[in-house]
Amino acid sequence: MTDVWTDRLSEYLDEELSASEREALEAHLPECSACAQALGELRRVAARTGALEDRPPADNLWPGIAARIAHKGEAAPRGLGRRFTFSVPQLVAAAAALVMLTAGGMWLALHSGDGGSSLAVRPAGTQGQPVSTAASNFDAAVTDLQRMLNERRDQLDSATIRVLEENLAAIDQAIAEARAALSEDPSNSYLNQHLATTMWRKVHLLQRAATLTGGAT
Amino acid sequence: MEPVALREYSVTGERDRRRMSSDAADARRAAKGDPEAFERLYHANVARVHSLARRMLGEQDADEATQDAFVRAWEKLGLFRGDAAFGTWLHRLAINLFLGRRAKRAKDWERMQGGQELVEVAGGKREGLELHIDFEAAIGRLPSGAREVFVLHDVEGYKHHEIADMIGVTTGTTKAQLHRARMALRRYIER
Repeated sequence: MTDVWTDRLSEYLDEELSASEREALEAHLPECSACAQALGELRRVAARTGALEDRPPADNLWPGIAARIAHKGEAAPRGLGRRFTFSVPQLVAAAAALVMLTAGGMWLALHSGDGGSSLAVRPAGTQGQPVSTAASNFDAAVTDLQRMLNERRDQLDSATIRVLEENLAAIDQAIAEARAALSEDPSNSYLNQHLATTMWRKVHLLQRAATLTGGAT
Repeated sequence: MEPVALREYSVTGERDRRRMSSDAADARRAAKGDPEAFERLYHANVARVHSLARRMLGEQDADEATQDAFVRAWEKLGLFRGDAAFGTWLHRLAINLFLGRRAKRAKDWERMQGGQELVEVAGGKREGLELHIDFEAAIGRLPSGAREVFVLHDVEGYKHHEIADMIGVTTGTTKAQLHRARMALRRYIER
């Protein structure tokens, strides 16, 4: 099934042939069963292609993305060229929200009958990097940010420092509890996701605090 | 390589308009460093990006490529001006990323240049298990060059001159690759 028109069938379907070429091909089709059959099949391919639907990934990729973003140690996307300014009440509100989220997440994780395993979530770090690597990245990011904060601690007022330390302690406790729970149930996907999210929230809070001192922009 | 026109989401109703408005608001928040807003953008757009990755790069690489696209989007959010829908901007960013990723695959590049044999075989005998293979999987089986052109033209709706600019070939090449892809896919259509 190869003749001069075989390779032009797609162009015919896409209406890209000149008028004379189109006329010649249409005259050819009744005489060539192979081209006529191929054209019909190409039309069916086009119809099948048009019916394709988007579908999400089988696993939740967000924890891996969150870990990678946190590892980059950026308080905001590049290209902004500006710094955040927060009032103490804003910081308090943000930190309180983080603590509520982490505490609520832990409660759900620890009190759900099946450990949350019904959620279609892959354990943190398995999306492109192993758990140990994700944890290592997190520790490195936290160490850098805390060092930066310590160096510039005198640029924050005492109320901000107190709120920050209280809420970092609460998040650390949530992380410790998640790690303890995971030691009992390492494959629990919800706990893995929760741990990754909580770790990321800690980095994010530290980033915001560091931004207040003029660092980590 | 000149940038080509951004392909907008097709807006079909009030729900789509609300979604675009919500995405735009979340994009602004995310650009200011709000991770929760970016997470919402992820959930709203991941199906489209992952489907693109799956079709352009194959099932095996789709998860990692999708993650790469969202991380890149986070890094570039400051450059998003809101001239197009966020989904359109993200989609174009993902296409560029996936095309770059493909270019690094020396082996696939060889297949693109020498893919004739695969396509001719695919266009020949139709008996066998291939008839039962999912059409999506069949797209992934196309030679690399034909696959990208097919996905960008027939699935994503780009024109030949746009695809030629993206890939760095002539429109004659993209038309030939598209035809080869379609001819190869005929065997996966149930008769």
